[in-house]
Amino acid sequence: MSPIPHLDRRLVVVTGKGGTGKSTVAAALAVMAARRGKRVLVAEVNATERVAPLLGAPPAGPVVREARPGIFTVDVTPPAALREYGLQVVRFQAIYDAVFENRLVRHFLRVVPGLGELVMLGKILHEARPAEGGRPRWDQVIVDAPATGHAVQLLRVPGALLGMVPAGPLRSDAQWMHDWLVDPARTATVLVTLPEEMPVTEAIELDRLLRERVGMEPTAVLVNAMPAARFTAEQVARLAPLAEAAGPVGPAARAARLQAVRSGLARRELARLRVALPLPTACLPLLATTGWGSREVERIADALAGGPGGSPWLD
Amino acid sequence: MAGLSGAIAGRRVLVCVGAGGVGKTSVAAALALSRALEGGKVLVCTIDPARRLATALGLGALGNVETRVPDEAFAAAGIEPRGQLFAMMLDVKRTWDDLVTRHAPTPERRDRILRNRLYQQMSAALAGSQEYMATEKLYELATDRDYDLIVLDTPPTANALDFLDAPDRILDFLGDDQAPLLFSPARGARLGFRLAQLGGSFLVKTLARFTGAEMLRDLGDFLASFQGMYDGFKARAAAVHELLARPTTGFVLVTSPGARAVAEARSLQARLVAEGMPVAGAVANRVTTSLWPAGRPHPTAPALAAALGEADAGLAPGLALSLEEHERMAAAEAAALAELLAATPGANAVVPRLEEDVHDLAGLAALAERLRG
Repeated sequence: MSPIPHLDRRLVVVTGKGGTGKSTVAAALAVMAARRGKRVLVAEVNATERVAPLLGAPPAGPVVREARPGIFTVDVTPPAALREYGLQVVRFQAIYDAVFENRLVRHFLRVVPGLGELVMLGKILHEARPAEGGRPRWDQVIVDAPATGHAVQLLRVPGALLGMVPAGPLRSDAQWMHDWLVDPARTATVLVTLPEEMPVTEAIELDRLLRERVGMEPTAVLVNAMPAARFTAEQVARLAPLAEAAGPVGPAARAARLQAVRSGLARRELARLRVALPLPTACLPLLATTGWGSREVERIADALAGGPGGSPWLD
Repeated sequence: MAGLSGAIAGRRVLVCVGAGGVGKTSVAAALALSRALEGGKVLVCTIDPARRLATALGLGALGNVETRVPDEAFAAAGIEPRGQLFAMMLDVKRTWDDLVTRHAPTPERRDRILRNRLYQQMSAALAGSQEYMATEKLYELATDRDYDLIVLDTPPTANALDFLDAPDRILDFLGDDQAPLLFSPARGARLGFRLAQLGGSFLVKTLARFTGAEMLRDLGDFLASFQGMYDGFKARAAAVHELLARPTTGFVLVTSPGARAVAEARSLQARLVAEGMPVAGAVANRVTTSLWPAGRPHPTAPALAAALGEADAGLAPGLALSLEEHERMAAAEAAALAELLAATPGANAVVPRLEEDVHDLAGLAALAERLRG
């Protein structure tokens, strides 16, 4: 059994507020899957690439590249995705060039609202679904999706097109894509947040937007950068007077007090989150670092897998 | 550290830019509050779809209209502003509608656009639409109202400067230099018509395989309905750009002390300077500040235990670990921030990580104090 049964889906969408560590979580999920012998693709969406560097590899750009054994990355961009999609539709390079590279048509395609999002999602979902009559290309495709508002804008495009585009090829593409996104058997959605006031509020809002505007049911919440519960309540009470002490005790107690306050607030916000979002929830440890690389990603993956510290999943 | 008070004094517009999750909205609201406390009539405009500013300002729901933060809210927070603080949240769809209404040559044309299915989708779902409308609204507010200061929070884009490029990108597809070609003065000068003329050609057949034939007709109608409005849009965008470049405008780079956010702030700064945009200063938010003299070794747990005395000796390992972690973070953050702070001499503020997140007026007032320096 997978250590995180909820997330064992062909497609995993990772989203959340900006700065909560979505890319780190996406990279850590990929590391976990690769450790179980799976072949994984991590797709970033028209972003400054973070996942490949987090895995110690150079950025992949718009072409799929292997970052480390078993883990591939790609940065999906509208022009590259449109070209791929267009070629799939017309099948012949010469026809594609004649049609899609035509000035008038290029202008025209830019006007189609949501087309950029549609082709990017199309590229990602195309990677996720099995080739006709064949095996799936990947055991898992992980999407490092944009932050809250932009993620909803991206994910709602197929559904929005259904309400707007008359029957035709574009509509049928929008239909299968929408079906994939809203099917919990094929797609898992992970909300990443921090145990702080604004990120928790935004995670709750994002959950609502995904349900109402996209029709997606979030699968799990990952609370990143959770400070350790280092001191008991009695000890915390002692820290305030000690913070005034002379010598080495004062500064150390002040640092401890900041840690304790932060930890207490984090637990309060975690409690608020859990009341508002009754979803499977796991906490990932706060690492005392500003620079993130493969070593930190491995540590997050260890924590997610349930290392010596026990399962990160809360009851 | 000089604080931002000198750098932002006299500015009429402040634009807060930075990576997502660095606290732009709080900084924008605190900068606005800061001026309102001194006596100005100030507006803070947020574009954030997650509506965080509403929470921070104690306002239930912000809309496309400017809402004054009520005196009672200030009184409850123990604050007595000499000026007035207004807040609003950008409604992208409404701003588009206003723009179309302003530029449409006739009421019929306006209605034709507003009713168009593609327009309705475009105004909400188009990438860059939010950014474009943010600057559009900013211009309207800066020219039509009498605010002493407008503070603009910017959307949490992957690329924080998208809002500089967005207007051009969108104008580009509403009709760029190819527009004459598309909307030729020929009879029935409509793209739909021209496409119909081409109808049967393999080009249109192939396109129809891609989009469906009906979609092509809708699009032709949509583009045609914008005919003649392009120049008005273009002139407006140029005026918006001019407003952003004025010396009375100031961009405030907001960053957290993480290496990635700082790198983004640095590239934003370079881009703004290259575009001739006025950078007012930088804010390093949520910084871990050092508690221990540089160069001196940290106390060990046994040393702390001895100093604590028997009753509290049990705290020693936790204290040693906490100080060690704290100082490691402080050093790493200081290193990450050094270049940015050096590049904004006399115009930056370092805000320590506060015990509470900023989520109310009292918290904003404390943040405002820190920003002034």
